[in-house]
Order: sequence, then structure tokens, then C-alpha cells
Amino acid sequence: MVLNRVVEGAKRLVSPDRPTTSGDPLLDQLRGALTADRVHLDGVQRSLLSHDASVFEGGVAGPVCYPTSVDEVVAIMKIADEHGRAVVPRGAGTGLAGGAIPLGAPIVVAMTKMNRILDLDIDNRIVWVQPGVINLDLTRYLRPLGYHFAPDPSSQQVCTIGGNVANNSGGPHCLAYGVTNAHVVAIEAVVPSGDVLALGGLDAEPLGFDLRGIFVGSEGTLGIATKVAVTITKNPPSVRTLLLSFDSVRDAANTVSGVIAAGVVPAAMEVMDAKITAAVEHYVGAGYPLDAEAVLLAEVDGSEAGIDIDADRIADVGREHNATEVRFAKSEDERALLWKGRKTAFGAIAQIAPDYYLHDTVVPRSKLADVLEEVYAIAERHDLLVMNVFHAGDGNLHPLLIFDGREPGVLARVHAAGDEIISASLAAGGVLSGEHGIGVEKQKFMDDMFSHADLDHQNRLRRAFDPTCRANPGKVLPMGHSCADIQALRRVPSGVWG
Amino acid sequence: MAKIDADTKIDRALTEFAERLGADDPVAVVGGRTKWEVGGAPADGTRMVAAPTGIVSYLPSEMVAVVRAGTTITELQSALADAGQRSALPYWGNGSTVGGALAVGQNSLDVLGRGRLRASLLQVRYVSADGHIITGGGPTVKNVTGFDLPRLMVGSLGTLGSLAEVILRTNPIPDTMRWLRGQGIDPFAAFDALFRPSAVLWDGKTTWIKIEGHRVDVDAEQAALVRRVGPVEEVDGPPELPAHRWSLAPRELRHLDQPITDRPKTSNPTYPVGRYVASIGVGTVWASEPQPARSVSDAIRTVAARMKAEFDPTGRLNPGRDPYTTAGM
Amino acid sequence: MDLRLDPDDLNSCVQCGLCLPHCPTFRVTGEESKSPRGRIALMRAVQDEDAPITTEVVDAFATCVQCRGCEPACPSGVPYGHLMEQTRETLADAGVLTPKWQRLAFKPLASPTMLNVGSKALAIAQRARLVPKRLGISATVPLRQPSLDASGQDVHLFTGCIMDAWQRDIHLAVKRVVEAGGIGVMPTGDTAPCCGALHTHAGLTGESRRLADRMIDALDDGKPILVDSAGCGAAMKDYGHLLGTPEAEAFASRVYDIAEWLAGSDEDLPTAKPLDIRVAIQDPCHLRHVQRVHQATRTVLRPYVRELVELDDDGLCCGAGGAYSVLQPELAGQIRDRKLDVITATKPDVVVSANPGCSMYLSPELDRHGIETIHPMQLIDRALNGLG
Repeated sequence: MVLNRVVEGAKRLVSPDRPTTSGDPLLDQLRGALTADRVHLDGVQRSLLSHDASVFEGGVAGPVCYPTSVDEVVAIMKIADEHGRAVVPRGAGTGLAGGAIPLGAPIVVAMTKMNRILDLDIDNRIVWVQPGVINLDLTRYLRPLGYHFAPDPSSQQVCTIGGNVANNSGGPHCLAYGVTNAHVVAIEAVVPSGDVLALGGLDAEPLGFDLRGIFVGSEGTLGIATKVAVTITKNPPSVRTLLLSFDSVRDAANTVSGVIAAGVVPAAMEVMDAKITAAVEHYVGAGYPLDAEAVLLAEVDGSEAGIDIDADRIADVGREHNATEVRFAKSEDERALLWKGRKTAFGAIAQIAPDYYLHDTVVPRSKLADVLEEVYAIAERHDLLVMNVFHAGDGNLHPLLIFDGREPGVLARVHAAGDEIISASLAAGGVLSGEHGIGVEKQKFMDDMFSHADLDHQNRLRRAFDPTCRANPGKVLPMGHSCADIQALRRVPSGVWG
Repeated sequence: MAKIDADTKIDRALTEFAERLGADDPVAVVGGRTKWEVGGAPADGTRMVAAPTGIVSYLPSEMVAVVRAGTTITELQSALADAGQRSALPYWGNGSTVGGALAVGQNSLDVLGRGRLRASLLQVRYVSADGHIITGGGPTVKNVTGFDLPRLMVGSLGTLGSLAEVILRTNPIPDTMRWLRGQGIDPFAAFDALFRPSAVLWDGKTTWIKIEGHRVDVDAEQAALVRRVGPVEEVDGPPELPAHRWSLAPRELRHLDQPITDRPKTSNPTYPVGRYVASIGVGTVWASEPQPARSVSDAIRTVAARMKAEFDPTGRLNPGRDPYTTAGM
Repeated sequence: MDLRLDPDDLNSCVQCGLCLPHCPTFRVTGEESKSPRGRIALMRAVQDEDAPITTEVVDAFATCVQCRGCEPACPSGVPYGHLMEQTRETLADAGVLTPKWQRLAFKPLASPTMLNVGSKALAIAQRARLVPKRLGISATVPLRQPSLDASGQDVHLFTGCIMDAWQRDIHLAVKRVVEAGGIGVMPTGDTAPCCGALHTHAGLTGESRRLADRMIDALDDGKPILVDSAGCGAAMKDYGHLLGTPEAEAFASRVYDIAEWLAGSDEDLPTAKPLDIRVAIQDPCHLRHVQRVHQATRTVLRPYVRELVELDDDGLCCGAGGAYSVLQPELAGQIRDRKLDVITATKPDVVVSANPGCSMYLSPELDRHGIETIHPMQLIDRALNGLG
């Protein structure tokens, strides 16, 4: 049949650096532990699983495994250990910091086939899921029961719970509900030794160190989650969504600080500037105003009785800060459309230029306006287009630098501008990342935020789980800390295209 | 009130604390001694050092407070209350300290309203076993920069590092807070009937419920509660709590009022036999006798032992105390 | 290898991955190589980096259902369908995709005589239980067809190839519904035998162009052309892109899905007592994702039934995909299983689908759940003619 044909150039499919043929014992062992059709060594799988949604290039995936059970993950870890190979876990590949790209030629463990919702436990207000379950699928499953999974990153329609755990994902509604760490009560994880750990627990205050807490957000460097108990959150009885327009980004940012100062913690507060609003409106047609310099999307939820008190307070604070329009979403459809616009903002950028670089830093809310002004100035200095869309309530900035990669020299300017944005955020008392993680993207900035001793302690934490640097090595910590150096030891294979 | 200094330097109070702790002999940081027995008493010969005190900065519109570990919870909460805010710290009476509460890691009685203590710690500064001042986390409400040392410190009983200064997330105090009490009503139905109760406590007969929010919200929730589960009356506060703290899964609380013979047989006597007050939807139970030892897997013990060895290779930090025992709870 | 893809189209993908859950093959496999993002990356690798075309590369392209569910999900507006069609055309031209024996199978579609003979043979074979199940032909082919005659000259009703041979009763129902609004219908019959959609999917675009030319010549009277098969309608609305001529653009603008046309028509259909049934709407991909007129089905159908229910799967494909269920039976079956779960969860009496391919693929399975599968116009016909 057609699928078995291999035509022109087939001989040029270079052989990978390490396990080369089906005769390699590593490959045979993996295929024996899983099944042959779930362990791949072909160029297609290896090249595709060498990338995520980021721009970063690392090494090339070694064998690609698709486990379907905890036992298979244990087997992979033990085989990797025996052969001295690193293991890189992976979800839907929507990460923006390069956390899931392979360095060297590690075994890539794609968790997408472990995608079952296992056990809904309403009494304990949790649901056990496999890590490959898609975030929005879980909420969709819970919806008829009156619950949802609170973390709602913009990629929620595709990102997996395992990925959320690895990155401690946030999202607009984390302002009131908290990030992923607040919604994970227990994790079954396989550590590099092959041991299966039960981290955390369903009881009120699990005994001992909060190993659950440190596993969340560890970007796959402590092991692989095979089962996660996440809390389910009651759907609010009522929701009010407001859209406020402003003549300046500063007014919008100051409104955000003002709302918090007024004692209101909305479920979400998101700001988009004029350029990104235009791009989004073109895609979704949600009715965003095109004449405003900035729009603030705010949402409050709670019981019907008092919900308008908070909504009106937000509206009042907005007017005090020169809001040119305050609009309440009149229907669930209008609300859904406004959120769809916000959540697809990043992808809509391709309508403007073929490439973008999305940053992610956090600054104190009161510094939002100042830092934003600096971001615009930095972009102008480097002759780049910048758009801002951000989780304003958390002070979480997401400047997007827009460019056309085919323009000579533009990448150097993009990186220079990015570095300055990060420096400006740190100088304002902020942090490197609010929700994308460090991955390979921000390792070099870790020294700007932490001392050598601080990073040494982070490395100790990591070593307690992974003393031999097998789990996603080369990520998070900068060069000079043990597992960060591992990629230097391993030759990056050349020739596998992709 | 001091502003948050964007370029926070490690201040003298912390370096002096580090000097007092030294890098050699067995030491323990002593707070208000309100939970001194949790995890076992410190070993004999351990030198006691008090943590630095004082609120370093607090800006209500940022919803964060920078506070030294030796500060009493009373002092912090009253400073926050002046600005209409509160924290997730439990209230243990005079003398208990911020650092002590974090080291023990127990949640407040109304954890459903205030949030879990472990989630409220944004940044931690601690003195390491070898005398360095280490910073983990960051000052913003959202942060995924690097490994999560703050989470590791909460509940570690000072065995991995000595808490010096922390940044806590704060939250507005709701307009109205109301405790209700109902005799013989179903506490689980009460918990289900409410959108966001701050606490639902139950002693097997009586249920106490805390509702917070705008006055109209609280009134509406109370009305819904009466409609769905039965009559309640307004009271001043929660009941007196028995001395010992148990940690169960919320589902297990359903067996508390069953005859002992009907309860699921798991390890040891898993359920209290005497007087108890249980936190519905949370799983914490205050009982007249202590919770029996809880089992810990070998795999977890291995990682925990490695963690201890990484952070305190000579075992000088708070010797004698073990986060993996239920002793003293 | 130059796939002849427009570099700007190819570069418009930013790898965000939002398409992944909307891709039926990614949904059932969890594999990047079975996702739109992965396939676009492979197109780039082949075209820009001269990556070799291995079995796995061909497999990645061949397993695409071409449902185009990824397109509405894509905030960057990547024209994935056109990229995949061009890729398949180039690979078919190079002899990589759609080998000779498969091409033979597409021949009769354009020839009513061959199709009739073939269908009769198939119908007889089916009755003699001679058709192996693995061929994936799940519908029972009728032995005899009632006649389909013109009733006026207001609109064309495109009758197509397989559908006319196998499911003429749908055309008859459509015709009666349109006539109920006082409109005279001209069935296209043999004058425009096939839209070429299946050829385009297989990369046999040359043949599609010939068929499109033939149809544009045959139906040159400027009258609206109504289509009751979503796949055909989508292909005919794309003739402007396929042929790149102003005539083709003009022709394409006259093409309407039947529900789209009824919903937009000034003439109201007669009222009737609603059928006492709960109806689940299965949107054919080429109605929802390509033509994007699936709301019209609801508008037109709503007055005639007690209850309409939506499927909670964002319009994910059912696996039929034209010839897909025959060429990729295993993946198609897994995709269909998902769809069946979603349908049965809504507990309908009847499922409506405006694409005969979807109906034929779903109905044998749904029959076993006691759920009838039917074209939406057949339901309206039933209500109007008191057959509920």
C-alpha cells in the first residue's frame, strides 16, 4: 500500500547519533517495555518532538516513547538509568520557554496518550486525571456537574494537566483562584530512579515536606507525573464581565491598582493595548473598541445578591481613572466572545507579521504603568513593534515583540530588546516569569535575580529527586549548577533535519 | 508605612540573625512556643535563637507584606487589619510568630475563606545550615522563577533552613463575617448548599458555619442555607476546639458519627473516638486524643532523607524534630 | 522537494498548537505527526530543508482527513486546507501519493454510466453478502432509483455522483422541500456529474479542474446552485481558488448549501406541526469548518422538530472524510467511536447530518443504538408532508 513507499532521498535520512538500528539494546528494551508501535526512532517523530511552541532550538529527540501506564513510565526511567540517558517529558508542546525541547539526544516521553479522566471524587472535591488530559476537556467534563478546573491558561483548549503541573500554569482567573499549585493536592510521580512517589495527599495537611508543592512548577526536572489529583471548583452562581476603554495604557494600569486598593479582588483583570485589540478584533469580532488606547477586561463572580457591588466599584474606579467607556457584557455569548478574543491574542499576531516573541515577566502592580512605558520606549529604541496584553491584576506582563524574521539582523534586535525588558522588570522589583517558566529561555537571567548561593539551594532541591541529572537536564538553572552543565557533556547530534 | 523597596537589600537584622545562628553547633529557632511539641521536642543541647522581628514593609494595594519571621501574628494581623486586610496565618494567641506558623504549616480554622497557608508564602529568606542567607521565590503574587523553595520551607519545622524574613500575600477582609450555628442539621448538605463557605465545623451534633462577603451575599447565603438544610442561629464564633489536630480526607469525615464498628477498616484506629470538631470540606479534625502515626512510604522517606542531607548535611538544624511524625499535633 | 506551497502561507503558522485538539487524528493518536502543526512543520521540512520523503512523512500527510477543523481554530488564519491539497497534488504528481490502482477508483465518479453499473453490481454483491467489511462501505446501496425530474427553472439542485446513485431519496426530499416554498427545481443530473472534491482530496487536482470546467460550462445560466452535500458544496464554493479565473469566482458565488439558501431566502417555507423528536445536529466538517454556514441548518430545522441538541465536541470530524474511511479504516474507526460517544451522550431520537458521507458512515453504528441518521431536509420533508 502507498504508506510503505519510500521515495526519493530516502537514503538521506541520516541515522541518529546514538541508538542507530533496531539492534540497539536501548531501543529493544524500550520496545519490549512498551510496544514497538509506541517507541519511535524515525526522523518525523524525532524532529517534530524536538520543538514546542517556542522559538528555541536544542538538540534532537532520541527515541520517542508514548507510554500508556505508570508501569511503562517506570520501565522507561529504569532503562534510561541503565543506559545513562536523559529523559524529557512532554505534553501538548505549547510551552513558550523551551522547557520541553530536548538538549542532546534524550529519550522524549510524550504523555499525550495518557489522557484519561480517572476518578471523580465529589466528596473530596477532587478528580484524578492522567497527565495527558487537556485542561479544557477537564472543565468541559466537569461543567454539567457544576464544577470547573480553575487554572485557565490562554492555551487551555490544548495544554495538558501534566504541562500545567510542570509549569505551575496560571491564566486570567488565577487572580482570585490561584495558580496550578493551589489546585493540585496529590501527584503520583515517577522519579529518575524509577521509584513511584505519592506526593501530597487528599487529607487536609499531608505530613512532612511539601514535595507536592515543589514538584509543581519544576518543569519536568524532578520526574514525570503519571496521575494528578486536582481540585474541582464550584462554578460561580453569577458572573459579571466588564469592558473598560481608556485613552492611555497608564490609565488602564492605574485602574487595576486602584481596584485592588479599593478592596476588590476580581476573578480576572486583563489589559490589551490598541494594537493587539485591533488584531484580536479582526480575528474574533467580539466588539472590542478600536478607538481606545487600552481596554481592561474585568470579571467578578460570586452569588447573585452582591455581585453588582463589586462590578460597580470596578466601574467607578475606572471612571475615576478617565475610562472613556464602561460596558457590561449583556449575555453569556458576549462574555464568551470577549474571552475568546483575549485568549487567542497571541496567535492572532500572525496577521500582522510572521514572527513574534512573547515575553513574560511580573512586576508589582503599582509599577505596571511605569514599566509599560519603558517597554514601549525599549521597543522604539530597537525599531520594533511591541504589543501589550497582560494579566494586569497579577502584574504579569506579556509584551509581544512583532517582527519579520526574514529581515536581516532583526533577531539580534529582538533579543536585545527582550533583555532590556527583563532588566526593566527586575529593576522594578519584579520576577523573571509569571507563568511560562524558565526552560532554556531565561536561564541566563537567573543570576540577575538570585545569588549563587540561592541557586545552589535550588539545585539541592532538585538533586534530592534527581541526583544523577536524568530528568530534563539543562533546564531552569543556569550554567555553573550541576545539571545545567549536562548538555555540554553530550554531543548534540547533527544532521537530523527539523 | 514603609513602601516596598524595589531593590530590597538584605538588612542588618538578617545578617545578625545569621551570625547568631552560626554554622556549626545544633540550633533551633524559637518563636512563641505555641506549637513547640509538633514533630517532637528539640534534642537536648540545642541552642535556641530567636528570629528577627518587625514588619519591613506593607503596601495594601500590592496585597503583600514583607515581615521578619519573629514578628508575632498578632502584630502582623493588626497592621493588616488597619488597612482592611488579613493573611492566611492561623491565629494561635499571643506570642505565636509568623515564622513559627509557617514552619509548622498548619492552616487557619477558616482556611476555606483565607486560603491555604502554603499558598500565601511568596518569598522566603532563610539562613542555611552553613550560615548563608538564601532567598527563594519572589515578591510578586505570581511567580514561576526557578525551584519553589518557599513551598519546601512551609511545614518543614525549620529542619532545612531557619526562617528569617518572608513575603506574604494578603487579602481584603470581607465586609461582613458571620458565624451561624445549627443543631442537628446535615453539615455535608450545608457545605454543598453554600457557594463559598469560609468554614463548616461539626461536632457530630451541632454545625457551625462561617459565611463572608458583602452583607447582601451573606444574607442570601444564610437564607439559602436555611431553605436547604434547616434553621440556624447567629453566634459569636466557632466552638472550643479539642487539643489534638488530625488530618483526614474530607470524604472520611462522613464516617465520624457512625458507630465505630461501621467505619471502614483501614490502618490502626483511623478515626477519633472521643470528642471531636471536624472541618467539613477540609478534613482537619480537632479531637481529644492524638492522631495515630501515619504511614510514610519508603520512597518518600528516601527523598525526604536526601532533601535533609542536601540542606543540612550535619543535621544541626532543629535536631530532634521530624516533619514526618504526628507527635505533638 | 518543492511542494509548490506558497511560502507566505507556510510561514503564517506560529506553532502555537491551538489547532491540536481540533484535529481528529491528533485526538485519537496524541501524536504530533498526526496534527496540523506537525504536518505543517513537515511541509516546511520538505519544501525548505529538502527533508527526505519517507514512509512516515507520507503517512503524516495521508492520515489527514482534510476535515479542516483546524482552520477556524487557527487565530493566524493558516490556509491549512489549501496547503494540504497542494501538498497532495505535488506528491500525487510525483507518484508518491494515490497510486494507479487508487486512481482507477476515482474514474467512475465522473461517469454516470460507469457509476450506475458499478453501483448496481455493488448492490447485488451486498445482497449476496460478497462485500468484505474491511472495505468500509457501510451503506446499503439501492438496487433501483426513483426518477428525479425538473419542476421549474428557478434553481439548480446539484445531484452529484455517488449520492445520486446511492441516496437519491435525499435529493427527492430536498426537491419537495424547495418546491413547498413555490420554487421550481432543476436537478443537474448527468450534465454536471461530479464536483471533484474526492479527486482534490486525493491530490488528483488536474481531474478536479476538468470537472469544475465542465460544471461551469453546463450551469452557465446564472441561477442559484443548491447543494445538499456539504462536501460537494465546499468544493464548488472553492472553484475560484481551484481554477483562478473570474468565471470560476462568479460560479462559486452562486453555490449555496441547501439550508444556507433556505435560511437566506425571502420565501418562507410552510409551517407544519413539529415532529415530536429530539434531534442532535452533527455538523459536517465541510459545512462547519469550510463553508461555515452550519448555523443555517439550525435556523431552518428548528420550527419542524420538538428539540434540537448540540454535540459537545466543537464540531470534531466523524471520520468519514470522503474516501478517508476506506483508505484509513483504523484511524477513521477510532474517530468515529469518539463521535458516537458524543452523540449517544445527548440521547437523541434522530441525528441529522447534511453530508451523505457522514450519514453513511455513522448510520450503521447509530442504528445499533436505535438512533436514526438522516439528512436535515428529509426531516423537514417529513414534517411538511405529515409523515412524522
